Amino acid sequence: MFSVRVADARAFRDILSAISTLVDEGTFYITEEGIRLRAMDPSRVAMVDFAMNKSAFDEYVSSGELKMCIDIGELLKLLRRAGRESVELFLDEETGQLKVTIRGKYTRTFSMPTLEASEEEVPTPRITFNVKATLTTDGLHQALEDVSLVSEHVRIEAEGDRIVMNAKGELMGVNIELDKGSDALISLEVKEPSRATFSLSYLSEIVKAAASTSDVVTMEFSTDMPIRLDFKQQYDGKLIYYLAPRIEVE
Amino acid sequence: MDFRELAELCERLSSTTKRNIMVDAVAEFIRRLEVDEVEPAVSMMLGRAFPRWDQRNLDVSWATISEILKRLTKSYFPVFSKVFRDTGDIGEAVKATLESSRVHRQVVLFERPLTILEVRRILEAIAESTGPGSRERKARLVEGLLSRASPLEAKYMIKVMIGEMRTGFQEGLMELAVSKAFSIPLKVVRTASMLVGDIGEVAYLCKKHGREVISKIGFKIFRPVKPMLAQMAGDPEEALREHGGTTAFEHKLDGARIQIHKLGEEVRIFSRRLTDVTGSLPDVVDVVRGGVKAHEAILEGEVIAIGEDGHPLPFQHLMRRFRRVYDVERMVLEIPVKLYLFDILYVDGESLIERPYTARRARLKEVVRGIPLTEQIVTSDPEEARLFMERAVNMGHEGLMAKRLDSPYTPGVRGKYWLKIKETLEPLDLVIVAAEYGYGRRHGWLSDYYLAARDEETGELLVVGKTFKGLTDQEIIEMTRRLKKLAVREEGHRVIVQPQIVVEVAYNEIQRSPKYKCGMALRFARITRIRDDKGPEEADTIQKVRRIYERQFEKKARY
Repeated sequence: MFSVRVADARAFRDILSAISTLVDEGTFYITEEGIRLRAMDPSRVAMVDFAMNKSAFDEYVSSGELKMCIDIGELLKLLRRAGRESVELFLDEETGQLKVTIRGKYTRTFSMPTLEASEEEVPTPRITFNVKATLTTDGLHQALEDVSLVSEHVRIEAEGDRIVMNAKGELMGVNIELDKGSDALISLEVKEPSRATFSLSYLSEIVKAAASTSDVVTMEFSTDMPIRLDFKQQYDGKLIYYLAPRIEVE
Repeated sequence: MDFRELAELCERLSSTTKRNIMVDAVAEFIRRLEVDEVEPAVSMMLGRAFPRWDQRNLDVSWATISEILKRLTKSYFPVFSKVFRDTGDIGEAVKATLESSRVHRQVVLFERPLTILEVRRILEAIAESTGPGSRERKARLVEGLLSRASPLEAKYMIKVMIGEMRTGFQEGLMELAVSKAFSIPLKVVRTASMLVGDIGEVAYLCKKHGREVISKIGFKIFRPVKPMLAQMAGDPEEALREHGGTTAFEHKLDGARIQIHKLGEEVRIFSRRLTDVTGSLPDVVDVVRGGVKAHEAILEGEVIAIGEDGHPLPFQHLMRRFRRVYDVERMVLEIPVKLYLFDILYVDGESLIERPYTARRARLKEVVRGIPLTEQIVTSDPEEARLFMERAVNMGHEGLMAKRLDSPYTPGVRGKYWLKIKETLEPLDLVIVAAEYGYGRRHGWLSDYYLAARDEETGELLVVGKTFKGLTDQEIIEMTRRLKKLAVREEGHRVIVQPQIVVEVAYNEIQRSPKYKCGMALRFARITRIRDDKGPEEADTIQKVRRIYERQFEKKARY
């Protein structure tokens, strides 16, 4: 049995939107403690690790453990109709239908099918990170928007008290400096100077989508290793992304 | 199984011309596949991302692939262009590019070799990306795929994506390999392949169920078979050439194609999409009961709606009859239909699909009494064919079908055994504004031309189509020489030229198209003449093209 209610659809919608930048269909694990999802995009370049604990919901009822796979895009379409109204989700295990009830000026209940759950367990990448930076999500978002004007990927370097992002396009280039203690870069620990390059088609999309859910992001990386982006959530839960770098090989 | 093995196999296939060696290698390979891998692997080896019956397509443009290569290798054009010009093979050029440069590779989170199934899964994700932002999503997926591939794997991935393997290993050899892999007689495999419509699917069935099931695949009355499909030809002459000098022409009626199944007194009728439309065609059922002198039969024909004067009415009228449940009787009176038969696939326990067209047509004549067959001639005379076409069009029909005399009936396959020829519209004189190097045999020649019409208001030349058809090899060589002199700049394998040369272009239709700035595109364009007597300022205008485009609708609306 699984049934939840959120008083304001918006936050929940933003979270699902952020997940849907990587996956179209998502398998949620539902336990008595809350729901979580961990999934890779079809290219296996990026993954999202999401959890929303029981206390983050206004009402949460679940008995036992179950998996629920849904077309996130479809659910988002319904939630977009909800504005800031209250939304209830109820899984009818008999029929496999997810009932979505939106209560506002009037009450409407949609039903949508659940899909065959994925059996793949996505592990957590084991990486030793040499850089740990805390930034405002907006600061990071803006910096990436700047970079995307000139190139499709960005090189991120950290050394001393500074993070440098640079990119070279065919004609133009850009260099962005973020100093520790500035408005954008709240804190920075550098164990070893590090640099890695990431595709903006992933990185910008992720940051853009997650920006609406979070004000502060913790970014960790090492030379030519995947980057970890932990978007601090206001609710009890997590939204973390891993993104593999682009590397140069002979 | 890893995709690497498939790529290595394909590489071995292209290095030999000995059919035995090829067939043995593929048979051995197929045997080693897991059940779920069989169909994807067989499809890919034949240059198909998906099995034939699958409607999905990747819809990845060369521009996208080219952009990704540029991202992966920074500057790739010198090597790519050189190898492409030397070999005419995109896959080979991609491989050489990846081998020669430092590659900026997108890493994945958990490295593991690409498997055949994973490649298929990603191809599916590419095909299923539609709607806003799909171009970027497709590009991201293709980049991810190429990033993980070795140069050799990339070579064959690209070939699968563009649908051209060039290993010399074709469908016929695949049937042999499947037969060998599962020790099932070739004849059984061939028949199954014809009925199922896809050799990959058949290989899968062989692996999963074995010979028993495969040899039992056959016609079942009241289970519709996919109709055989036709490619387009420009004119009757092209059809004659394509079919080796002599062919059968039939009127192409502007009606609805139906498949008729008969067992004793019971008759069922299926539409082209295999839906049962028996209920809306009671008059056709009666005609079949009375006119088909066989206990069991599967026939194909066309029904057309008839106006009061006995002339055919357009298709829309007919569609009002289809899928109608209520008031059928009234509709039968209001819109009488007429049945014309043109093929027979099965009669009294005997499958005819492997028999040549001429034998099937003869059999059809024997079996049927009092139901007309579509009008037909067999000829090798282009003039006779042209007159036959003219007559068909004057009678209000769409044009002609050309059917190769010795061709079997291949369900679900859109091949060249059947060619449809529609009425051509008034030819246009257009200016060549750019050209591309061709593929394969034509790889050193500028053989693909961008055709433009003049905007009489602004004087601008607007591209309305592109074609590689119509010129002889000699003319292409000459054209290449002339265009090279007119070259303004090169963009990859495209050469932009000064607009000087005017050609006369025939085409079958003008369609709306977002592809070109003018919003229209010529369908099935081909060059019919080089108009050296005309300068670019005398070329036809975009306004004229638009008028012809609009006239097409007038004609349709008049019906």
